[in-house]
Amino acid sequence: MGEYRKPVPIPSIESKPYWDGLREHRLLMQRCNACRRHWFPPSTQCPNCLSGDFGWTPMSGRGKVFCYVVYHRVYHPGFANEVPYTVALVELEEGPRMISNIIGIAPDRVACEMPVEVVYEDIEGVATLPKFTPAPRPQT
Amino acid sequence: MSALRDKYAIVGTGKSRLGHLGGVSALGLLAEAIKNALDEAGLTNKDVDGLVCRGPDDLYAHHQMMGARLGINAAFSTTLDNGGASQILAVILAVMAIDAGLATTVVCGFGRDSWSRTRVSQQAHMQNELVPGGQRPREHGIEFGHIGAVAAHGLGARRHMFEYGTTREDFAAVAMAFREHALRNPEAMMKTPLSLEDYMAARMIVDPFALYDCSLMSDGAGAVVVTSAERARALKASPVLIKGFATFNNTKGWHVDDHMITTSGEESAAGAYRMAGLGPRDVDTVQLYDCFTYMVLAQLEDYGFCKKGESGPFARSGALRMDGALPANTSGGQLSEAHVEGMLQIVEGARQLQGVYGPDRQVRDAEIALVSGHGGNYVRHSTLILGKA
Repeated sequence: MGEYRKPVPIPSIESKPYWDGLREHRLLMQRCNACRRHWFPPSTQCPNCLSGDFGWTPMSGRGKVFCYVVYHRVYHPGFANEVPYTVALVELEEGPRMISNIIGIAPDRVACEMPVEVVYEDIEGVATLPKFTPAPRPQT
Repeated sequence: MSALRDKYAIVGTGKSRLGHLGGVSALGLLAEAIKNALDEAGLTNKDVDGLVCRGPDDLYAHHQMMGARLGINAAFSTTLDNGGASQILAVILAVMAIDAGLATTVVCGFGRDSWSRTRVSQQAHMQNELVPGGQRPREHGIEFGHIGAVAAHGLGARRHMFEYGTTREDFAAVAMAFREHALRNPEAMMKTPLSLEDYMAARMIVDPFALYDCSLMSDGAGAVVVTSAERARALKASPVLIKGFATFNNTKGWHVDDHMITTSGEESAAGAYRMAGLGPRDVDTVQLYDCFTYMVLAQLEDYGFCKKGESGPFARSGALRMDGALPANTSGGQLSEAHVEGMLQIVEGARQLQGVYGPDRQVRDAEIALVSGHGGNYVRHSTLILGKA
């Protein structure tokens, strides 16, 4: 594998625990100890009740595609060989929504509300990216 | 807020040259537009004591640079930071400043050189390279190749399609109506008709948006002059009354709640209607912020011109055309005239009420025009309701 040519995520002081968790294949998000809600992206206070008392909590990694787009245009040279690729807004079962890629399925087969689960893509010396892949429909 | 209704007016409007100009600067184009607006008002730079303007995001203290170019010391001046919602906000701020006694005659304007800039280097061609370093996204998107406004709005469009059965034919109805208007406007960048076949055959940019869903890359500027309605009566141009305005910003974020399909336009519209004492049925023409076809559809719903989810059939009915129930973006809009971040929508709304156009380009008996602004990470919104004096 050659040099990594895609944009490298640059963690902030506040998101460092999130990125550290991903390296260990754990999807951690903040959970408010006062109102018990999860939130993302990382910040210093619960956006619901402004409590600064929170814990980094593992997510189940399960969620659904809230919506998605398929990139045909190359906006960054690192993605020149990737188009067409899918970017989705994934809604986790715990509530937070996050941008990611949907992989392991052709872009034209992705759909809103499709169940997905996290997969960890390790990029040596760079970061671990949380991507999503189709999951079996949850038992009802 | 209705104490301000009809107390202030737009007394001059101006545009610069528009298009793929090359060899121009954003500041130079804005100076050109402001000169044209002052000329129309019968005013000079000596009459101006307020400046609320904006340019490309990497220009620091934009209003100061414009003051230097225009020979204006301002009793009130600033540069705004609300993206495409800034231009109406500039007019709002002008009214508030005049009402507070801080200034008497305020110039509002926006100019850009987006097309020229992308020709400076191939690197700059990449949308993300237009964004100044400090504002570039660093995480939670960029690493997945999620870059730029096309995809961000595309996410909303996709969800709208899912929830309401909206189709690309619905998007096409917007693009085609505005293109038809551009053909009546000699200043518009787009000069050829757009058929449904042309729309469908165009290359995909970020699915569900293809080429004609996206607004233009333009060099251009626009400006308006705001003063009191009382003072306006003594001036050369026929004034346009400012009847209502509002803003609303879904600052919790674009991805949160239902913000991508019920935009901050809903609350902004309600505020502006309340101030003007008007509702959607009173509006004769709209100039909506059309960065993408879908955003026009979402706003038609949020502004109450049709029910949520019904904007597709509404657009396909021909309502947005010059002879339709709600002539929209009658200059061609940002999809087909030029993209000057909402500034030209204000100019067009005012001019329709001044009745300056020939019969093919004039909305008949236009008394009330509604203008919208949207932008700044997709969640900031502003509304302006103008009335014939």
